[in-house]
Amino acid sequence: MILVKKMLRTARSYKAQFISMIIMMTLGIGVFLGFNMEWKTIEYDVSSFLSDTKYADYRLYSAVGFAEDDFEKIASIEGVTAATRFLTVNLDIKGDSKKALALNVSENYTVSTFTLMDGKEYDENSSGIWLSDKFAAKNGISLGDKMTLEFQGTEIDAEVVGLIKAGEHMICVADSNQVMPDFTTFGYAYISPTKLNDILKDKALKTAADELRGAGLPDDVIGQQAEMLVTDEVLKQTVDKVYAQINLISDLEKTELEDSVSEKLGRTIMVVPKEDHVVYKEAMGEAEEGKAMGSILPVLFLAIAILTMVTTMHRIATKEKTQIGILKALGFKNRTILLHYSFYGLFIGIIGAALGMVLGYFVCKAVMSENGMMGTYFDMPDWTAATPAFCYPVIAGTVLLLALISFLSVRAQLKGTAADALRLYTPKKMKKSLLEKLPFFRKMGFATKWNIRDLMRHKSRFAMTLAGIVGCMILLVGGLGMRDTMAGFLDLLDNGISHYVTKVNIIENTGLKDAGQLIEELDGDWESYSGISIDGDTAVLDIVNNTGGRFSVVDEDNEPIKLRDDGVYLCLRLSSRAKPGEYISFSPYGSEKSYRVKVVGYNRSVMTESITMTDRLADEMGLDYSISAIYTEKSSDEIPASELISGKQDKRQLMDSFGSFVEIMDGMVLILVIAAVILGIVVLYNLGVMSYVERSRELATLKVLGFRNKRIGRLLISQNIWLTVIGIAVGLPAGIGTLQWMISALASEYEMKLMLGPLTYTVSVLLTLGVSLLVGRMVARKNKKIDMVEALKSAE
Amino acid sequence: MSVVKFENVSKIYRNGDHELRALDKVSFSLDEGKFVVILGPSGAGKSTLLNLLGGLDSPDEGTITVSGTDISKLTDNELADYRAQSVGFVFQFYNLIPTLTVYENVKLVSEISKDALDAKDIIGRVGLLDHLANFPSELSGGEQQRISIARALCKNPKILLCDEPTGALDSETGVMVLKLLLDMAKNYGKTIVIVTHNQNIAKMADVVIRVKNGRIRSIEEQESPLSADEVEW
Repeated sequence: MILVKKMLRTARSYKAQFISMIIMMTLGIGVFLGFNMEWKTIEYDVSSFLSDTKYADYRLYSAVGFAEDDFEKIASIEGVTAATRFLTVNLDIKGDSKKALALNVSENYTVSTFTLMDGKEYDENSSGIWLSDKFAAKNGISLGDKMTLEFQGTEIDAEVVGLIKAGEHMICVADSNQVMPDFTTFGYAYISPTKLNDILKDKALKTAADELRGAGLPDDVIGQQAEMLVTDEVLKQTVDKVYAQINLISDLEKTELEDSVSEKLGRTIMVVPKEDHVVYKEAMGEAEEGKAMGSILPVLFLAIAILTMVTTMHRIATKEKTQIGILKALGFKNRTILLHYSFYGLFIGIIGAALGMVLGYFVCKAVMSENGMMGTYFDMPDWTAATPAFCYPVIAGTVLLLALISFLSVRAQLKGTAADALRLYTPKKMKKSLLEKLPFFRKMGFATKWNIRDLMRHKSRFAMTLAGIVGCMILLVGGLGMRDTMAGFLDLLDNGISHYVTKVNIIENTGLKDAGQLIEELDGDWESYSGISIDGDTAVLDIVNNTGGRFSVVDEDNEPIKLRDDGVYLCLRLSSRAKPGEYISFSPYGSEKSYRVKVVGYNRSVMTESITMTDRLADEMGLDYSISAIYTEKSSDEIPASELISGKQDKRQLMDSFGSFVEIMDGMVLILVIAAVILGIVVLYNLGVMSYVERSRELATLKVLGFRNKRIGRLLISQNIWLTVIGIAVGLPAGIGTLQWMISALASEYEMKLMLGPLTYTVSVLLTLGVSLLVGRMVARKNKKIDMVEALKSAE
Repeated sequence: MSVVKFENVSKIYRNGDHELRALDKVSFSLDEGKFVVILGPSGAGKSTLLNLLGGLDSPDEGTITVSGTDISKLTDNELADYRAQSVGFVFQFYNLIPTLTVYENVKLVSEISKDALDAKDIIGRVGLLDHLANFPSELSGGEQQRISIARALCKNPKILLCDEPTGALDSETGVMVLKLLLDMAKNYGKTIVIVTHNQNIAKMADVVIRVKNGRIRSIEEQESPLSADEVEW
């Protein structure tokens, strides 16, 4: 009991060291747990939501649609557990050209379903609409409200019967150009297949009536005649054309499924696995990013925490040497003394781990919760935090490691007899280092020599301080650099690539001939993207006509490329496939043909993995393509109505959608900057105090000799400044390297170019210097209180 | 002519309600160039007296005048300057800076003293020119104390203050160090004040001040002090 009291009192006398060790442990465990919980929570919550809503493993696309026969054949493939014909199409909301919805129909509702948040359960015969609850909330829409959607001149009226969340739209973006969901302008909805049939029937009747009216039939017979023209067979064909997608759940490998589908249908079909679908790809990409972040930052924190513990416990044990000797002389067994001191490490470990677990939970929640950073990105109902199983043994192991560090530090002091233990700890003797042999060393001032030798004498303290400053720099450069890189990426997208005002999306299967007039009217450039297979991997073939300069294709250095007509450009992610001058083969989905083409360069693709070529080359090669989008300088309101237009996207609106993405980034950067400053202050203060304590006798001697407090303070601060300068010199490239590594980790999603603005360099360097100077001053102030008489009594 | 003057100097240490008078209304004066020994048992107040004279501490009552300056009223920085210019210290445990070489330890004081002597010359006089580039930990105790004396003298102070300068040395080395200390002080014309509980050292002094329980018991001037060789150790 008395030993426990002693322990608490000792802890109080080393409060700066104890508090800093607890903070380091808390930060180490907190960041480690928080980042690892973040990716695990993504994996766990996303997987359970996707499983609940029967998210499809594969999506099969056919430009001509899937007939019921095709569907039956595919559904009967062995290994396909469930399948549905599926429709997803972007529609405008009537009266507001800036708002749109992805309207979905899952024909037999066994795949790609939704979770009901409020309202009526799904009913395949209902005439109502199930609307995204977030879109409803953002746009003030309630259950029972009526909505009117517009599609190619057809109006769809429906009553909102349910508010939902759907796995297929967990990341709700209009197309691959949109990075962040924005529920004020874009959401999603489901209708029943019966409702779809009714809409298509109405549309077919209307079209037939228009044709009959055009043929001069009197109005009173048009209705009846139209009914006769729109037979069940006609309607069935229309429906078959609309279902351009089959979603299915299957454990089959992609190639197995592709082969089976080709065999059953007698033609190749574009098969997209969930790994290539925006929701799964992005969510798992986030989890991978989390793993990447979780494997570098926490390791940094934890390593520094443990190393700080080693240094500090060693110093405490040496300071406690006489007390250890007294206990030994009094008759306490070595085992009791070892246990007593090991408890210090255990005590710090347990408190630090407990606080770290709380911090970790909040770090995870700051990212993964409905109101957290990912709340705007993922739209899912459950945000239960999950922890990877390996975290528990790591935390327990760290606590035990701290106890072991204490144990070993004290064991070293217990060696020999009680009389040996009672002797004061003598620091290492000074030896001449290699540095002293250098000619310039002799010319240095006494303060410089003193500091250099002090660092050489206390190498572990030197290394730890350096590690703290380098860590601080890595966090600052990494965090701020990530922001710069993202800002550069957005700037490239906004000013380097997109020179249009509106992107006009064109309905599928519109050839250049059909779209020609519209392209002329809009004075636009155009682009065609379609799925291709490169050695079995899916990519996008991007056929480009940008002669009007409405958009640019850029190279690795973000400079616009004047596209050549004698070959294709591979995006950077595909650059390993072929070097410029080499040939690459690809095969368009839905075609048996394979094309071999020369690679003439690489381009930076801001979104999908793609091969880019000019329309002239495509024509030369005899490729069959359709226009996907027209880029124009006209605003949305100036664009004439056309049946060819499936949607319009304002460039400003697109860039604004990055706003919340940047907010997430800012949040992460803030966490990193705060962590960097705390890390810097804690490590430097702890080691600064240690340095001060170790040198107190020398400082007292200087004071006795007549050195003023200010001069001695300068001596202490100058050591800090040197270490900081060395730390910055090492930390800056290390930070850039870490950033480059992080960007490579993100490479599967984006082709970003590392960018560091002058402000990042300035802020990182000044903040690190500032932290060092602040801590240096805090420690130097202690100098005033140094007891000259007391410090001079003991022997070195 | 008196170089040091203590007038009714008291130093009181307080710990809660408890009060300890380490020095109680002490008055004396010392003449320039004398070798003074302050003698007394442990806890007598002799180190407190030395600390006050050295400007390491300030009295609670009374005045201390050194060369006409009242040092009891000086600020921290003024006291630092006083220590830098007027007094040299020699300690029982040498208190050399372990990370500076022999030469650098001595040369160090020339950075703060306006009238410093040549470091190499003084090191030569204490017989350690061969060890200029050695660190203190590479020297014996006696050699370290000789460097400590060289450092104290290098400042060219008015007074040399020594706190048990032979306390950590064997008797043979102690005699050698004392001899050196006296010779050097004589050569440079310094006043030396040694605090000790060693009666033998007192036999060598011009003036012996005996202290007990914070008060001066006697001040004795010795007309024919013994040399270090004559004293039986």
